[in-house]
Amino acid sequence: MSNHLSIIFLILILLPFLTQSFSPKKVLILLDDFSLKSSHSLYFTSLKNRNYHLDFHLATDSNLKLSQHGEYLYDGLILFSPTVQKFGGSLDLNSVLGFVDSGRNLILAVDESASDLVKEIATECGVDFDEDSGAVVIDHGSFADGDHMLIASDDFIDSDVILGKEKIEAPVLFKGIGHALNPVNSQVLKVLSASPWAYSANPESKLSSPPSLTGSRISLVSVVQTTLSRVAKASETLCLVLPDNIGFRRIKAIALFSPDDFKILQARNNARILISGSLDLFSNRLFKSGVQKAGSSTNEELMGKPTFDDRYLRSGNEQFTTELSRWVFNERGHLKAVNVRHNKVGETVEPSMYRITDDLEYSVEIYEWSGTSWEPYVSDDVQIQFYMMSPYVLKTLATDKKGLYYTSFKVPDVYGVFQFKVEYHKLGYTSLSLAKQIPVRPFRHNEYERFLTAAFPYYGASFSTMAGFFVFSIIYLYNK
Amino acid sequence: MARSSTSSTTTKDAQALFQSLRSAYASTPTNLKVIIFLPTLQYLVKCCLGLQFLPKICLYDFKKTDVVSFFYAEVCLRIQVNKENKEFKDLPPERAFADFVLCNLVLHLVIMNFLG
Repeated sequence: MSNHLSIIFLILILLPFLTQSFSPKKVLILLDDFSLKSSHSLYFTSLKNRNYHLDFHLATDSNLKLSQHGEYLYDGLILFSPTVQKFGGSLDLNSVLGFVDSGRNLILAVDESASDLVKEIATECGVDFDEDSGAVVIDHGSFADGDHMLIASDDFIDSDVILGKEKIEAPVLFKGIGHALNPVNSQVLKVLSASPWAYSANPESKLSSPPSLTGSRISLVSVVQTTLSRVAKASETLCLVLPDNIGFRRIKAIALFSPDDFKILQARNNARILISGSLDLFSNRLFKSGVQKAGSSTNEELMGKPTFDDRYLRSGNEQFTTELSRWVFNERGHLKAVNVRHNKVGETVEPSMYRITDDLEYSVEIYEWSGTSWEPYVSDDVQIQFYMMSPYVLKTLATDKKGLYYTSFKVPDVYGVFQFKVEYHKLGYTSLSLAKQIPVRPFRHNEYERFLTAAFPYYGASFSTMAGFFVFSIIYLYNK
Repeated sequence: MARSSTSSTTTKDAQALFQSLRSAYASTPTNLKVIIFLPTLQYLVKCCLGLQFLPKICLYDFKKTDVVSFFYAEVCLRIQVNKENKEFKDLPPERAFADFVLCNLVLHLVIMNFLG
């Protein structure tokens, strides 16, 4: 009896931990209006089916909070509230950005009634919506249902990891405002672009000046992936190896740094953001509607006579948004690098310093998150740099297809403080920036050859001087 | 005119110089002669030995260090044992030679150390 009790007790103790490890990801969804819950239900259902716990709230709800006691309550945030002027509760622009900076994910969808607040969030993420508040994307070339503001676009980003392996055949229907990407920010990617003859303008007013946003510069849907940077510390001591000026080389200065100096750039770690200029993109109506789209850029079409030759029963919206949400919520393309190792060939211990012309081995393990577990990441384009101001060695790592990447190379004949650098930036994948500092020293005094053939005249000189001294002493003493 | 007169005076000067050198050399005691003659010979031999390294020899390296240090020591010895140098008249030549030997011992120990 007591045995049973203790087992039950044990289960009760362990229960919170068990549920925690298998708990679904929590996503907070902010809406302008609860009617969106039903009008966009297909999208929400697809998330629910993938084991996400959805938490619906009005954006103005006074009980809103993202974090409690310094811990975030959610893994993702979906802002389907374009008109909100001010969030309720403790939520504001900074808390949303802080949420993203902590490495969590954000989906932001707006429409033509977008408020300054949501536009500002987008701007902070590197995306600039059209400043004209009434402007929408208009396309007289590729539209659907006779509505020139309902755009059918199939200009997707060419990336399996973002949009899934299965090609999206049907065009995606879009109704909303366009945005331009901040050219300085290389982390923003255009996922769905407008056609070359699209433009962004207010349909109510007459166009007096050329629209500021035109053609394929308009992005309809963009994603942002912030960079993950990690600098591992080589050891707590960093040695500066410098030559001194009399020809003998030796270690001249040893500078000591605390390990804190090497903890660099932990912020902005690998959050994924999806920004869509159209809220309708996610709606059941557009999920279900068929597409009659103008054919690809033929002359006729450019002449203003679209040929309606492509006909699809359902638009590509459902597949497009579902695949994108998979990517945004880190179900795909999420990499981690662990176990960075390096050692001399034939040894297993990681040295604190290498000597010039040493042969060394380097290995790192890279895994990809599959949604449930870490699977080995297989690719043939991961490269290592042996870096000091510029890469002295640049080598592609070989892989054993089980996640281990390895190579070996010779330390160049240059001494100084080097870094093992892996800079892996692949479209749609987590950026990996690994840097590990390692000093390289010159030969020690006793590592050179003992007697050099080239130096024999010098040896001869020394010995003959000694002999000369002996002979001289004899002659001098006898000549007294 | 001016040229022939200058050339004739130059020749005369040279002759006078050589004569004074010869007489000075003849009057030098043998032990002083030995002191200068031996190291000069030695230095020449060494230069021949290391002919291919000559540019380097002239710049640095202990080959030159040892030979030149030895040479300096001998010059000092010569100055000290020369009876015409009043400065060292209280110093017996035995003491001078002992100093010379001591210096050389130190020098050669250093050289052996550098040889490894």
